[in-house]
Amino acid sequence: MKPIRVLIAKPGLDGHDRGALIIAQALRDHGMEVIYTGLRQSAIQIARAAIQEDVDVIGLSSLSGAHKSLFPKVVEALKEQGASDIPVIGGGVIPAEDIPFLEEKGVDKIFTSGSPTDAIAVYIKQLIHKETIEAPSKIAHIGIAVESIDATLPFYQHTLGLELQAVEKVESEQVRVAFLKIGGTMFELLEPLSEDSPIQSFLMKKGEGVHHIALEVDDIHKRLNQYRDQGIRLIHEQPKTGAHNSQIAFLHPKAANGVLFELCQHGEEE
Amino acid sequence: MNRSSSDHHPKNKWEEDVKKTSQRFPERKETFHTSSDIPIDRLYTPDNMDEDYIEEIGFPGQYPYTRGIQPTMYRSRYWTMRQYAGFGSAEETNRRFRYLLKQGQTGLSVAFDLPTQIGYDSDDPMADGEVGKVGVAIDSLKDMEQLFDQIPLDQVSTSMTINAPASILLAMYIAVGEKQGVAPEKLTGTIQNDILKEYIARGTYIYPPKPSMRLITDIFGYCQENLPKFNTISISGYHIREAGSTAVQEVAFTIANGMAYVDAAIEAGLEVDQFAPRLAFFFNAHNEFFEEAAKFRAARRMWAKIMKEHYGAENPKSWKLRFHTQTGGSTLTAQQPDNNIVRVTLQALSAVMGGTQSLHTNSRDEALALPTEDSARIALRTQQIIANESGVADTIDPLAGSYYVESLTDQIEKEANAYIDRIKEFGGAVQAVEEGYMQREIHKAAYEAQKRIESKEDIVVGMNEFKLEEEIHADLLRVDEALEQAQIEKTQQVRNTRDQQAVDQCLSELREAARKSDNVMPHIVSAVKVYATVGEIANVLREEFGEYTGM
Repeated sequence: MKPIRVLIAKPGLDGHDRGALIIAQALRDHGMEVIYTGLRQSAIQIARAAIQEDVDVIGLSSLSGAHKSLFPKVVEALKEQGASDIPVIGGGVIPAEDIPFLEEKGVDKIFTSGSPTDAIAVYIKQLIHKETIEAPSKIAHIGIAVESIDATLPFYQHTLGLELQAVEKVESEQVRVAFLKIGGTMFELLEPLSEDSPIQSFLMKKGEGVHHIALEVDDIHKRLNQYRDQGIRLIHEQPKTGAHNSQIAFLHPKAANGVLFELCQHGEEE
Repeated sequence: MNRSSSDHHPKNKWEEDVKKTSQRFPERKETFHTSSDIPIDRLYTPDNMDEDYIEEIGFPGQYPYTRGIQPTMYRSRYWTMRQYAGFGSAEETNRRFRYLLKQGQTGLSVAFDLPTQIGYDSDDPMADGEVGKVGVAIDSLKDMEQLFDQIPLDQVSTSMTINAPASILLAMYIAVGEKQGVAPEKLTGTIQNDILKEYIARGTYIYPPKPSMRLITDIFGYCQENLPKFNTISISGYHIREAGSTAVQEVAFTIANGMAYVDAAIEAGLEVDQFAPRLAFFFNAHNEFFEEAAKFRAARRMWAKIMKEHYGAENPKSWKLRFHTQTGGSTLTAQQPDNNIVRVTLQALSAVMGGTQSLHTNSRDEALALPTEDSARIALRTQQIIANESGVADTIDPLAGSYYVESLTDQIEKEANAYIDRIKEFGGAVQAVEEGYMQREIHKAAYEAQKRIESKEDIVVGMNEFKLEEEIHADLLRVDEALEQAQIEKTQQVRNTRDQQAVDQCLSELREAARKSDNVMPHIVSAVKVYATVGEIANVLREEFGEYTGM
């Protein structure tokens, strides 16, 4: 694949380019080709440089407080030069309140002070390669923590009338699980096999109830990488083997406002 | 020197100096005590002062000044509390100045907007969007008169962060003084006037290095005759550090730049002891407390040795490194901004432990915008609390003799000297800057620091650890967008009402002087007095000197 080309530019008179230089270097480390304009560039100079250098994206940096006037001028200049397809992102000392204004004026994204350089690189890659995040295909199952599967099954089987698909042990998690089919998805009842089981500690802390929601995905490795790049906390950095020979990994509940999500990729035999 | 003779022992010399100084500046109290009534001595020293101690550490006010440049230091007077301020129009900034003076600030420090710093009038197309943003907009003497309205220039000292057009703003300051009836020889203050660090780190250059160095030595020459109490340059490590250097690099590059100015002045025919006493320095106070305190002590010792041994200066005033300190702006976080008050306190304390002559403490909201009045007041109060409540100013150089601090001081000196040797191999700081050597070294250090933060090897509280979910920033200072237009109209009004013939005459004389390598300062003073603008004067010099376009 052709490397992404980025123009890092300093519009206006601001001379602080530590941030611009660091971003330029970090993007190079991510395999991109980066052109840095140097200081004191007018909007029209930046637009012309972007076209001449045939860049995929422009990154603007300003720390002088002039961003509200300067950033939209660059977007305008690109339009005048017939290059409005080149996306513009920006950073520097930019109060959060100014972001909606800048976005409305055609700046694609503002990274405020303290943004990790990796997040900027990931954003650019997604922007350029249209590497949009694919939504998980469905809810694979809803996990419910129980003290005893045998004591709980009558409600699901007889009261609700659901069909029991399988009962199996998952040694890695120290649980016994029962799957009950409902429409295109399932309930998963989870019973701890020992004191070390995560289900046991869940029961101690919260008692019986809904434990997690599992999402059906493909290419679980890639997806974990994408999430991690976005700064999402993961419980499992690498997938592990779950019930039914599936590959599973949990996201940290802090990443989803207290909901524990499992990613679940089923093997070929399914 | 025979050290066994008690008459000549440096300690006796110091004690004599204390007596002399105390007559002019009596100590703040007759005696100093801790809360438990333990008496606090002026100075603590080892029982056995060997040769090494005398030569490397010595006594305050004595060569090599490791322990400070005055014999009584803060026992007599605290450092000058000097908050950098300026935004919007001259009237607005004047109001903030008078507010700060009323709050107990003891010196002024002017922040100019970027067009002023780069020699553009507010109506120049290059100034578009930047007028009044990071400092006050000054186009003509009219603005400068308003800036210092009701502020008697014989009673305050004023520091101006101005570099490439330093001569123009200094000329305006002289003219305002005259209008107030204050003679130039009575003016006190500092112009930053340090162009080398602009190429290295700060970016507000106009002309190429060579004519820029000449403008600087013209100022040295003019001030030596006319403004003997004015600091003609503030050789700045601050921005080098902000650009990402280490503490050692900050000291090394600053002192290397200082040497380049001394070389240039000597080459221009000035005597070292005539201009060197007016050289001032400006450092950053960063996070690592002990390293920072040691850095200031090391810098003082290095400069003293260089001035005495390398340049053969004989006046002790030429040996003394006097410096202003500002806490490190780049250490502040936009996240949980109140935490910045604590950072600033620690940094300010390191500057006081390092014996600074004046101090600016940053405001908590500077990672987000210019400081509000409330934030600026807390920043000033931080210094006042350190001075008045902590007791750290009651004895001189209290960290001296700490194994750790003395070792750090030695180590910083050694490593900074290695850098200076490397720069000498390039042929000096001007050549090293032109070849981008310092810029590369700083960038390397900055990038490594960023990597350490992203990998959480370095923790920045509130930013990469101990985070809060959501933050709302109330009350940020906003510069009125309408200001730019008002300033443009004001300057055009000045142009319409001044004596244009006199302006043209002055500018053409200035051009002539610039060509002939006469001192340009007197011509710039005449030009500002007839209301020639910053942009007009800078443009004459642009035409004669050319423009620097970066590398």
